[in-house]
Amino acid sequence: MYKVFAFLKRNTALLTHDEYRAGHVGFHCSHSRRLNGIRGYCVNVQANGDLRDGLGPLYGEVTRNEPSEFAGQWDGFPQVYFDSWDTWTQAATPEPTRATAEGLSVDPDWRLDDGPYLFDPVPDGDGEFRSHHLHMEEHLVVPVQRPERKLTKLMQFFRRNPSLSETDFEEALLGRYAPLTARMVGLHGYTVNFRDPDQESAMRGFFPEQAWGFSDEGRAHRQAFCALWDGAAELFFDSVDAFSAARGDTELHAGLSALERELFEAVWYVEVDENIIVMPNRDPAPEFYYR
Amino acid sequence: MLKVFGFVRRNKQLSHDDYRAAHVGYHNSFGRRLNNIRGYVLNVRANRSVAESLGPLANRLTRGEPAGFDELWDGWGQLMFDTLDDYLAARSPARDRARPEGLAEDPKVAQVGGDGAYLYTGSPFQFHVVEHVSMPVRRPERKIFKLVQFAKRPDNLSPEEFRAYWSGRYAAHVAQLPGLRGHIVNFRTPLDVMTGFFPPDADAFTAEGTAVRETFYSAWDGMAELWFDNPQQFAEARSGGDLGAALDDLEDGLFASVFYREVDETIAVLPKRDPAPPFYHR
Repeated sequence: MYKVFAFLKRNTALLTHDEYRAGHVGFHCSHSRRLNGIRGYCVNVQANGDLRDGLGPLYGEVTRNEPSEFAGQWDGFPQVYFDSWDTWTQAATPEPTRATAEGLSVDPDWRLDDGPYLFDPVPDGDGEFRSHHLHMEEHLVVPVQRPERKLTKLMQFFRRNPSLSETDFEEALLGRYAPLTARMVGLHGYTVNFRDPDQESAMRGFFPEQAWGFSDEGRAHRQAFCALWDGAAELFFDSVDAFSAARGDTELHAGLSALERELFEAVWYVEVDENIIVMPNRDPAPEFYYR
Repeated sequence: MLKVFGFVRRNKQLSHDDYRAAHVGYHNSFGRRLNNIRGYVLNVRANRSVAESLGPLANRLTRGEPAGFDELWDGWGQLMFDTLDDYLAARSPARDRARPEGLAEDPKVAQVGGDGAYLYTGSPFQFHVVEHVSMPVRRPERKIFKLVQFAKRPDNLSPEEFRAYWSGRYAAHVAQLPGLRGHIVNFRTPLDVMTGFFPPDADAFTAEGTAVRETFYSAWDGMAELWFDNPQQFAEARSGGDLGAALDDLEDGLFASVFYREVDETIAVLPKRDPAPPFYHR
């Protein structure tokens, strides 16, 4: 599937972090869940708690070289799934989804014009907001199965050890590190995502050519953010404590730690609250409107 | 949790697939924003019949199916709230929209989009169910097969016996079906979940609306949700062997009538059965 992460900073002049949650997950997603051809849509919002408190001394053991400026650059990130780059770029094409006196019609109120109030607005940007829309190459290691309760979702961000080629890095991560991680007790799901080296892959065709993201300032903004990390894994557990307990397996912890030193120049975790907007459907799309 | 079902008949101006798009699309976009909602699943009747999906087994398992049942519904929403008060207060403006002045209320949530007259015929058949979670469902990231089993209580069983036996011994047998991903049994109750939720002049409160709703209710007393990866899995699991024979015997004594439907499930709000977090979450 074509998967996009879109890192977004809230409009700090108008909204607290919790107000941003409501505005993004509430009104905004009621429109964006109707994007044409969308096959899955989760909104990950940075958790209110500090993971350092939840993990205690383990935090220092599993984290290395966390960039101090990283977490402050975003409040949340949607992850969206489409069948292809083509369908992604056509997602804003309206389709009839509203019952009216005339029958099924295109909703005239369907628009995403809350963006500059919800997200970090571009000064004098004519309604534009700053974002990092990034194509991710995903690898399902342990396909997630969601129970009817809120799971703890940990994002493991990582930056490649520069002494390894990209190919060697990805092979080692998927071939050696991921199988070991998958042995963690209590793991509900585990997906490894590598950021597309083409940082504009998800931007081209989706945003107009004159968009801020293609300006010198926009490109520099994105490049600075992308320089901090090369990929991110999604890990699902019942709780932070469950993750701690799983890493408490001495032999497993030693093996993972050794590989982390070998593979990563930097590795760190961010807890996010996952909102399911459209349950991802990795099967072929049915022949009718389905979310 | 407080679980409310609302069975709906589409507005005849819409085809069944038009209705899907309008319910899943525009309408669910407001329904998912109802204040304090803890779960919202929409089930749309599948385009294929159970005879098509299950083969001859469908006919063998079906007994006493009421004629014209599908004329009475195209889909149903199932809403979950912590309390009745939360449910009754849900249809109010939601403070979840970023505006130039900051986070503001959106009054359209109070009308759930205001499309009901064009989407439905009459009022939804809105009722409360008590549920028995026999096997908690865990949903993968793909569309799975959801089967609904409607059944009517026989005269020789009290309502209490009927609930106890279905959610007890029968459910325990069903739970052994290979490939079962989830199993929840729901029993309709007389709790009033319409007053205060629908406007006083709604079709639900007219003599005609009451009559058609009672016709629908007369067809069944309980319904079970079952999830499998695909219909073949259920068909194989249920077709034979000691377990199949045991279920046949149990159904003979437990159900005055029993019939099945396949539905396409939309997760508008993934149900959360744990305590709500202290922030907006869906």
